[in-house]
Order: sequence, then structure tokens, then C-alpha cells
Amino acid sequence: MNKYDAYRTDFAALTGQQGPRLWRSLEELADTPEMRRFIEAEFPYINEARTDRRTFLRLMGASLAMAGLTACGDPTVAPLYSQPRGNWADALGQASTFASLLDLDGYGRGVLVETRNGRPVKIEGNPLHPASLGATDVFAQAELLSLYDPDRSQGAFYNGKDVDDRAAPRVLAEARAAFAPGGEGVRILTGPVTSPTLRALISAMQREYPAARAHEYSPIADDNSRAGAVLAFGRPVQAVHDFSRADVILTLGADPFGDMEGHVRHARDFADRRRAAHSGGMLPRLYAAESTPSLSGARADHRAVLRPAEIGFFARAVASRLGVVQDGPSDVHPMVETAAADLSRAGSNALVVVGREQPAALHALAYAINAALGASGTTSRYIEPLTAAETGHMASLAALAEDMAAGAVSQLLIIGGNPAYDAPADLDFADLIRRVPVSIHLGLYRDETAAAARWHLPRKHALESWGDGRAFEGTAGIRQPVATPLFDAFSDEEALALFLGADTHDGNDIVRTYWRDALGAADFEQSWTAILADGVVPNSAAPALDVSLQPDWDQQLPSEALPGLTVLFAPDPSVWDGRYANNGWLQELPRPLTKIVWDNAALIAPATAETLGLKTGDIASFNAGGRSLLAPIRLMPGHALETVTMPLGYGRRAAGRIGTGVGFNAYALRTSHAPWIATGVEVVRTGEAHALVTTQDHHGMEGRDIVRIVAPDQAVETPSTEPQPSFYPDYAYEGHAWGMTIDLDTCLGCNACVIACQAENNVPIVGRDEVARGREMHWLRIDRYHAGDVEDPDTYFQPVPCMHCEKAPCEVVCPVNATVHSSEGLNEMVYNRCIGTRTCSNNCPYKVRRFNWFDYSPPDPEPRNPDVSVRPRGVMEKCTYCVQRISAARIDAKLEGRRIGEELMTACQQACPTRAITFGDINDPASAVSRLKASPRNYALLGELDTRPRTTYLARVANPADPEGSG
Amino acid sequence: MTETDREAPAGIIADIPLALSFDWRWKLAIAFAGALVLLLVFGMAQPVLFGIGVWGANVPYVWGFDLVNYVWWIGIANGASLFAAILVIRRHDLRTSINRFAEGVALFAVICAGIFPIMHLGRPWLFYWTFPYPATFEVWPQFRSTLTWDFWAISTHVIVTTLLWYTGLIPDLATLRDRSRSLRSKTVFGLFALGWRGSVRHWAYHQTAYRIVAALVLPLILIMQSTVAFEFATTLVPAWHDTRKPLHFVVTGIASGLATVLFIAIMLRRGLSLERYIDDEDIELMAKLLLAASLVIAIIYLEEAFTSVLSGPLAQETLLARLFDQFAGAYWAAILLIVVAPQVLWFERARSSLLVCALASASVLVGVWLDRFSIVIGGMQGDYLPSVSGTYLPTFPEWALLGGTLGLFAGFLLLFVRFLPVISMFETRHAEHGDGS
Repeated sequence: MNKYDAYRTDFAALTGQQGPRLWRSLEELADTPEMRRFIEAEFPYINEARTDRRTFLRLMGASLAMAGLTACGDPTVAPLYSQPRGNWADALGQASTFASLLDLDGYGRGVLVETRNGRPVKIEGNPLHPASLGATDVFAQAELLSLYDPDRSQGAFYNGKDVDDRAAPRVLAEARAAFAPGGEGVRILTGPVTSPTLRALISAMQREYPAARAHEYSPIADDNSRAGAVLAFGRPVQAVHDFSRADVILTLGADPFGDMEGHVRHARDFADRRRAAHSGGMLPRLYAAESTPSLSGARADHRAVLRPAEIGFFARAVASRLGVVQDGPSDVHPMVETAAADLSRAGSNALVVVGREQPAALHALAYAINAALGASGTTSRYIEPLTAAETGHMASLAALAEDMAAGAVSQLLIIGGNPAYDAPADLDFADLIRRVPVSIHLGLYRDETAAAARWHLPRKHALESWGDGRAFEGTAGIRQPVATPLFDAFSDEEALALFLGADTHDGNDIVRTYWRDALGAADFEQSWTAILADGVVPNSAAPALDVSLQPDWDQQLPSEALPGLTVLFAPDPSVWDGRYANNGWLQELPRPLTKIVWDNAALIAPATAETLGLKTGDIASFNAGGRSLLAPIRLMPGHALETVTMPLGYGRRAAGRIGTGVGFNAYALRTSHAPWIATGVEVVRTGEAHALVTTQDHHGMEGRDIVRIVAPDQAVETPSTEPQPSFYPDYAYEGHAWGMTIDLDTCLGCNACVIACQAENNVPIVGRDEVARGREMHWLRIDRYHAGDVEDPDTYFQPVPCMHCEKAPCEVVCPVNATVHSSEGLNEMVYNRCIGTRTCSNNCPYKVRRFNWFDYSPPDPEPRNPDVSVRPRGVMEKCTYCVQRISAARIDAKLEGRRIGEELMTACQQACPTRAITFGDINDPASAVSRLKASPRNYALLGELDTRPRTTYLARVANPADPEGSG
Repeated sequence: MTETDREAPAGIIADIPLALSFDWRWKLAIAFAGALVLLLVFGMAQPVLFGIGVWGANVPYVWGFDLVNYVWWIGIANGASLFAAILVIRRHDLRTSINRFAEGVALFAVICAGIFPIMHLGRPWLFYWTFPYPATFEVWPQFRSTLTWDFWAISTHVIVTTLLWYTGLIPDLATLRDRSRSLRSKTVFGLFALGWRGSVRHWAYHQTAYRIVAALVLPLILIMQSTVAFEFATTLVPAWHDTRKPLHFVVTGIASGLATVLFIAIMLRRGLSLERYIDDEDIELMAKLLLAASLVIAIIYLEEAFTSVLSGPLAQETLLARLFDQFAGAYWAAILLIVVAPQVLWFERARSSLLVCALASASVLVGVWLDRFSIVIGGMQGDYLPSVSGTYLPTFPEWALLGGTLGLFAGFLLLFVRFLPVISMFETRHAEHGDGS
């Protein structure tokens, strides 16, 4: 048995013996005669060639999505409603773009979806939407792949058996027929609901069935800040932060740029303020007090590494310096003094943000600090809660669980969500679901909850269904379908309408009806079309509330700590709470700080690991409250001592072929009374090990000038700006000459560019084993470096696409001219000329070239970008500066008789929340990229090699507080 | 043909190809070589059918055994050619016994080497795109690419080595033609003997042609071996970007060629009972040459360390990485096998022992392979950006290619000793008649 045998696993072995054991998995589906016939018809060679996990990865998004195409021709399915640019584009094979909305834990993020021939091919941010401003996060980009996921549920089933595809209306009607008077025992469980339409439906239900109850649960909900608001203001308001006005920011365990709702907008505002300061003015300064290294912490100017329990003391110490409380502890951390002085100086332009895992009392303290600084109204404002759960999501679920355990629930409709998997372990929710006489699960996947429920009904993907939702600051957005449903399924609203026996159960009607009533009937059609085209309802942001501090806001911070380690739970940067576990793009996306792929790991400080005798890859047993969990360790520089961070969302048992069995399930240690911070956890070495696969092992920069850091207003030291002599004459560029700058000062390392590039350029996923062999295919990677003390290092991110060198080392070494210089200075790959010598990669000092070691590309044209070639086995590929977008822009410009302007954006640039990437014509001195290249912060990576890269970097600006206190 | 042709010296040599008795040792050996050739077929089919992902290569280790083996075989071919050519030009006594199969070794080694540049491609069936042929789209090879130079180097190598071997073979082919008993072998040998009659004019032309080809080999071999080195030296890879690479490759190549020739000489002497033609003095002289080559390599290794101290910090780091990082074993084993082990040949008793000489030459061969491994694989660690890391582990299909080419080489050699005069008969006659010098 050698390494090679591992991927010669045959089809049967993989789908049968080695595959995940689902009660009704797609592997079994693949074994039905119909599916076999279908797959054989679609992929005639499937029985000839070996079909292994990698082939499955390729089939994902191809096979069943193809099956879904039949739905497009179904005359009973209504055509897409609003097409702002008309239908002619489809007929010509051109792109049509629709505004829509995607939500993450209920909060909407506006998107523009590009479709070709009725099929979505790319998701971008909606510039008109306040939570996006044109940018996206990784999840919004990856929804495209989820839409086409062949593992999605495609039909209803009862107790694990397939039933008639159109059974759903009957099932829901029968459930309603059995309702007790007043709806006694009827329960609905949803995720956090900001959708006005869905909330209206739920209210209608409660009017009609007063005894029925609606519950909201999300494992990542922000209950503590709501509870803190009750303490501070006496009412459950929701805070909205405005980073565009923040000069000094203190985060207390929070990651406003990484996982807080509104993170895309926060990042953009912060970056805009930094950018404005680069041309004079005050650079915003970020202080982070945190236990787990976060994206915001990596960006911070000052960072304090504190145990979870110490963050409260830190905050109190700051508060006492600011005079908010009388009795503050002293000597907590040296950062207390500087942060307090800086916050006080910034006054109303200061902002304190608290993480969701911190106790309510600390949230209340932060509200009080913000109020004392005068920040309420400038950097933070308070609005009515956008989600319903008054007592908090965890309490809502616990109440439901109590009723279920008491046998008081007779009908349970679970809309979305996967509580059988992600509910706290102490509730044993899957078992409770089984005890409910009629339980109906509406879900995108046949997941753990589907297995527990009596009935499972397929749910429409967000891109297939009508709906709406509110952004983190309250602006309503409309979600319109951008594809005809691939399968016969229901949206949340449709299912709820059927469940309640509403007049209409057509998603379009439901949403329209709600908004016709809400907006008023006069000229509704006109304004509705405009709203659909824009994707947002104008002037719908939630009004700021006038709140005042309660006299008794100051509560004692909980200080009881059990002996042993503290475990912090955190949403995962790739799979979030587990909902994206079956998304290959996200699984293969290197986690920003650890660079781990296809796995999660318990993060632990190196010093703590040493005391425990653990090293990276060791499997440890974590025991708390009678529960125990085996998890591999990953040493995390800058992590708090005696604390372990466990990313949630892994260890799925029924996620699908991609996500099942990946990682460990941290929910197994989570309890409903301590959902974020578990103390008194015992850690035992098991002596076993697990190989974590990462894309970058090294932390340091080895003393080389890779990421450069300058002081404010300081120029970068470039060894030599004069080009060195060259054998070959320079090229002349008559027309355009493309170039790029990447601002390391605003880059947060969030990965949005990486996944946007993957979606735009049909970059394949290769699977865990291939990444372990060093064969990941990302055209754009983000290098992460640490510098300084391992206890509290500085962290730098550097996105590395192709540099498109003027004197490209790759071009001269290719024997067959497969990589050549274009007339506009692009370094182009001619795929069909490439014979695969790989010399170009050898000669590339940036190592941005990717090779098709196997046939990674999908065998049939997937519903992906039709403008980008799919690369065959044996050829080299790399970043093209999105040459297809340049071509498209050139055609448009020619038709309009003008030069290509700033409307041309690369995929990475467009997705970037902070606009750190600028692309354009360096022949045009007025272009944004030319101006940035003239910046004193501009430098070339490995400039000493004189490759004269077109992609250059803008040095990061260090902005520590002056020790003298002058700011 | 004259009567002298039937005299004893040529007799035994000519009898080998002319006799049809294949003894069991030969049959066993050819069966073993055949099995390895089957392995080669497997090793070649894997990347063609599934992709070169079956190897351990990745980014940044884009090259693996493919290039290691190529450089190793081409070094053997160059070393053996160079050695043979020098003997011809210097009319050294040793040439009578060594030349013919040294030329054969060079030819077979270059065939083995030639497999790798084709097989190593992501799409090997398109290898001919490196040829400058008039394609419809008028896309020519990139003449600035060292890989294009390499195409010229290998093809030149095949032509020149074949010429050297074949030119030397012509008079002996005529002898075989004259001695053949069957019409078929008479026809075949006759065809390739090009109508050789052994006239004085023929001899005069032949000697001139032979020496011209041999003289051509000298610079060409140096250029070709340097071209192989350029494939590394002209890149930006810090460990390779180094003007001393050609020297290193030429010197180590000569050692590996010498070692192969010595090893084969011992095998032939034992296997074909050619003690009379490959005598103790020949073996001892070869052993001394191998010892000398080993000492030169010692100097080259010292020089490498010394130059990298003078080079930039990155060059020093990459040498240190080769010396002490994950592939350090290959570096130190190479020094042990190439430089240290052959020192035993200082002793006359060792030089007179066939076993010791065979072991010493095998040690140098393995050592030079490890040297190639250390340069190719070890050189790819430690790039400009520390974020680029990873490792390389050869897979079974890669070992199959190495084992398979060894089998192919052995197979060619076995067929050669079976069907062609393995020692130059005419040179031997000259030598035994005392007029050869």
C-alpha cells in the first residue's frame, strides 16, 4: 500500500464502505438504478475510469445541478419575475444581473447575482445595500456553490423513506388539520428572523392560534448584548456601530471585522477612515483585548492577550480610568492606561465593542462607557431589536426543549436550521424531536435534524426563492429568486403559509402582498420594480432610539471560575455554525489565521500546550460536566493562556459528501447555560495524533522585507527604484497597461478575495489529500506572517496573486511559448499551448502558479463562469488579472466609443470589503491605481529580483499610541 | 577478409554474437531486465493515463524523480562518452578493451535519459512541440528557454554518441559478416558494415572519421552537460542560480560515467570470461581514474560551500537547508558514497580486487544519484517567500520509472553483448600485433 493507492479507491468502496453512513444519503441515491442511469448518461466514462473522492468533488455541482436543469423547462414553474435589463441578454448569452439578498443568521447582506441563460454564475455585493456597499464576505460568495450542491435535498421523505415529490402541501395541511383548538402544542422553530414578511406570517399565526408559539434559535446568536442592553437601558435594544466616525476603537473579545453582524460594512468604514487619514488626518487606532486571535485583533495597533475572565477586569479598569465606575481593578494590563487615555481623548469618536461571548454585565459596562464618552449617536446608536427572541435565542430554544420534554408539543415545524446538530449538548435536542408526534423539518439538506424529524421537506435555496430581510442596521432588502428552483421545494414563507393555511402559498404573492400593505397601494407597481432593481427598500433603516442608562446598570461581573481550562466556542471562519460544511469552496479555503483546510482544531497557546505536553496535531480529550470530546490541538501564537478555542460547525454526521466527518463537533461540549465560555474543562492527552492539513506552515518572515511596515507619513525604504540592466528590450504599451496595488494597511485577511477569485475563474477544489500534497489551486492566496513574541505576536496578511511581472521569469523559460506577455502587459497563460514542463512555476519567485496534476476540472460545463476556460489535466494556470473582465470592458468601451475606465474591476477587487485591492490602467496617470503606485508606501514584493511586478503593495502603517500620551 | 581476421583474438569476441548458445545466466539476466522493463511500462502508463499527480511532485516541488533520474542518466552518458572519446583521441591502450562498451553505455544511458524529459511533461504526448517544426500557426519554440536548449542537447547527444559507437563498430561488423554462417545474419551484418572491405584506404578514412567524431564528442559533451546544468543555473531558484553548476554537473557526470564503465567492465569480464581482453591492468587503471574523479568531486563540494559563503545570504540559507534540512540525508550520503568510499582505492590490494572495485563504482553511482536528488529536490526548498513550503515524497510510480530505466539499460547491454562484438576486435588485433598505440 503506497500513497498512490489511496486515491485509487474505487467507486463502490467510497460510496459504500468508506462513505458517510447516512440513513438516506446521496451515496445511496447514487446507487438507485435511476441515479446510476442518470450518472452514466451524463458521464459515460464513469465506469471506465476510477472514480474517487476527487471525482466526486468534480461531480459536485455538475451532476445533480444538471438534473435540475429539467426544472427550467417545467411549464408549471413561474418564470423569473423581475429582470431589470430585460430578457434579451439571456437570448444573446449575455449576463443579466439581479439584486437579491442573502442572510447570515437572519441579517441580510445585499448581493447582485450575475446569471447566464437563467443560471447564476457569480455573486457580487450590492453597492446600494448598507451591509455590503458592493463587497461580500466569503459566505455570500460561496452560496453559489451551495445552490448547485448535488447533496441538497431534492424530495420529501417520511421517517427516512422517500415519498411523492409533491407531498409537502398535503403534509402541512394534514398537520394543520390536527391542530388543537387555539393551536395548543403547535410550535415553530426558525433561525433568527429579521424578515418583515416572515414576522408578519408568524404574527398572523399567533393571532389565529394564540396558544401556538414561535421560537428562534441560532447557535451564533448575540444574546448577551441584548441582555446587556436590558441591564443598561432597561429594554432590549440592539446596538449599531458606525466605524466611519470612530477614531479610537476598543474591542473586548469582539471581532467587528470578522464575525459580528455587519462585519463587511464595519471593515469598509474602518478602512475608509484609514484611507482618508493616509492623506492627512488622524489614523483611527484600534485596541483589541481578546483571548482568541481574531481578524480584528490582527489588525489592531495594540493588542492585549487576556483570559476570558480577565477581559471583564480589563474593561472595568478602563471604565474606572474614564470615571464610568468608581472601583476599578488596577494592574490588569499595561494597555489599560493607553487605551483609556486614547478613548477619553477621542470622546464622542471613541467606540467600545464587546464580543458575543462576553457576559451581559460586560456588555452593559461597554454601553455605559460609550454613553460616558458621548459616543451614543456618533459611533454607536441603538435600534429596536431586529430579531424577535425577547429572552434570547438560547433561552427560546431551552423553553421549547422544556415543552418538548414535557410532551406539550404536538406539532413542530422546524424551518431551516439544524438544531439536532447545533443545539447545546445538554438539551439532547435530536431525541426531543423524535418524541414530538408530528415534527416537520424544512431544510436545504437531509441533515441531522431531517433524520430526527418525522417529515423532511426540501427547502428552496435563497437564490431560488422570494423573501426579504433586514441588514444589521435595519434597512430592509428584498430577496428575489435569480434561478428557477432546481428541485421542487419550498421557501420558509411558503411552508409557513401552507402550515397555517394562508390564502396564498406562492412566495412571490406573499412577499408582494406584505410590501404592498407596508408601502401603501398607490403607485406600488412602479416603486416595487424600483425596489427589486435596487434590492433595498429606501429609507427603511431602523430609527435610532433615545435610550438612557438605568441607575442600577452596573452589575457584578460573574467571576466564578472552575479549576481547569476554559473553553471558548467560536463560529468558524469557513463553515460558520456548520451550515456551510458541505461547501467545498469554504472547506478548502484556508482559515485566515491558522491556514488549516478541511478541518478544525482546538486552538491553544503554545505555553499552555507545553505544560500539558501537547503539540500541534496531538489529539486531546476535553472533559467537562460529564461530557467529553476528542479534538486535535493546534498551537496558536497570541492565544490566551489556559484557554482553548473550539471552532463550531464541524463533526457533521449528515452534511453531505463534502462535509460529513470533517473535524470534531464542538457542540458536544456546549451547554445551554454556558454556550460561549465553558470553565473547568479537563484536558487529557490521548497519545494519538491527527494530521492537520495547512497551506502554510511557516510563521515568520525570516527577516526578509516581505510585508513592510511604515510609521504614519513615512515612505517605504526601497533598495533601488532604478531598473537594473536587462538582456531584453522593454515593451512599449500604446494603449492600456494593467496594474494592481494591494494595500496591506487596509487588508484584513478575510479571504473574500480568495473565494471570489475561485468563483470567478472556475478554480477547482482538489480535496484534503491533494492539499496535503501541496496541490491547492487557489490563484490568489493570502500569506500570513507572525512577527515578534509568540505570546503576543504581530500578525500580517499579504494577498499574493500573480504579479504580472514586466520582466517575467516564467515567460523566458517556457520552451513552447505557453506563457507570454500581452500587449497590455498581462502575463498570459495559453492553456492549449502548455505541455506541462512546470519550469515556469520553478522560475516564479512568488510561486503563484498552479498545476493541474490530475484532471481537477469538472467534466461537463458546470453552471459557472462561461467566460473562463476550464483547464485540462497537465497544464499550468494562474491569476489572469481577470482577463475575461478586461475583454468584456473593452467591448463595452468600444461600443460606447470611450476608453476603459474605473468600472473595470477584478473579482478580488470587487469582493474586497475594505477595497484594499485597486486595479486599473497604469498608463493613465489619473487612474486610481496610478495614483496609489505613486504613494510613498508603494513597494514591489521581492523588488530586488528586478522582475518589475505589475502588482505592488502599499506598506502597512503602524500607528501605536505615543508613549508620551500625545496621541 | 584476410586470414588474420580468423586469428584467435577476434575469435572469442566474435564467437559470442555468432554463437547461438544463450547460457542460463544470460537468460536469467535478460528475464530480470525484461521484468524491469515491464515496470517501466507501468511507470510510463501511470502519468499518461491519470496525470503526473501520481508522483509526489507539487508546488514548490514541481520536479521530482523525473528530473533527478534524467540528470543522473545524462551524466552517465556524458561521462562514458567523454571517457571513450578521450581514449580514441589519445589512442590509449585502454581503448581496445573499454571503448566499444563504453560507447554502448553512453548510448543506452542517453536513451534512458531521453525518456524522462518526455515523461515528465504534464501532457507527454505533446513533447514534439519543443521541436522547431513549421507548425500551421507558426508558433516556434521559445529559443530563450533552457528546455529548448535541452532538446538540442539531447538530440545532439543521441546523434554524436550513436556516430561514435557505430563508426567504431563498422570494421567489426564486417568481420561478423564474414564469419556469419547463416544468410540472414550475413545480410544484417553486411548491411550495417556499409561494404567494408578492409582496404588501406578504408582504414585510413575510418581512422580519420573515428577520430573526428571522437574529437567532436569532447566539446559537445561539455556543452551538453552544461546545458543540462543551465536548466537549473538560469532559474531564479536561489539554490540553483549559480554559475558553478555546469562545472559541478560535468565533474560528477564524468565520475558516474567512469563508475558505470568500470562496473560494466567487471561484469563483462566475469560474465563473458574476457579476462584476456579486460585485464587486471585495465581494471586498476580505471580504478585509479575513479579515485581521481572522486578527489575532484571532493574539491567541487568544498568549492560549492566556499562560493555560497561568498554569495548572498539567501544562497547560504539554501545551502544550509540542503545540508541540514529535510533532505540533508541525500547530501551527506552523497559525500560518503562519492568522496569517502572510493578512497579505499588508494590501496593496491583494493584495486586488484574485482569485488572492491565493483562496490566502489556502485557506490559512486548511487552517490551521484543522491547528489542529483540533493540538488534537484533539496534545491527547491527554501524559496524567496517563507510562506511557500511543503515537502516531497517519491511515490511508487516514480520508483518504477527509475527501476524501469535501469532494466531498460541492462536489457540493452545484454542484447548488445549477445549480438554485437563487445570488445573492439580490430583494435584488439592492432594491440596484439603490437602496432596499435
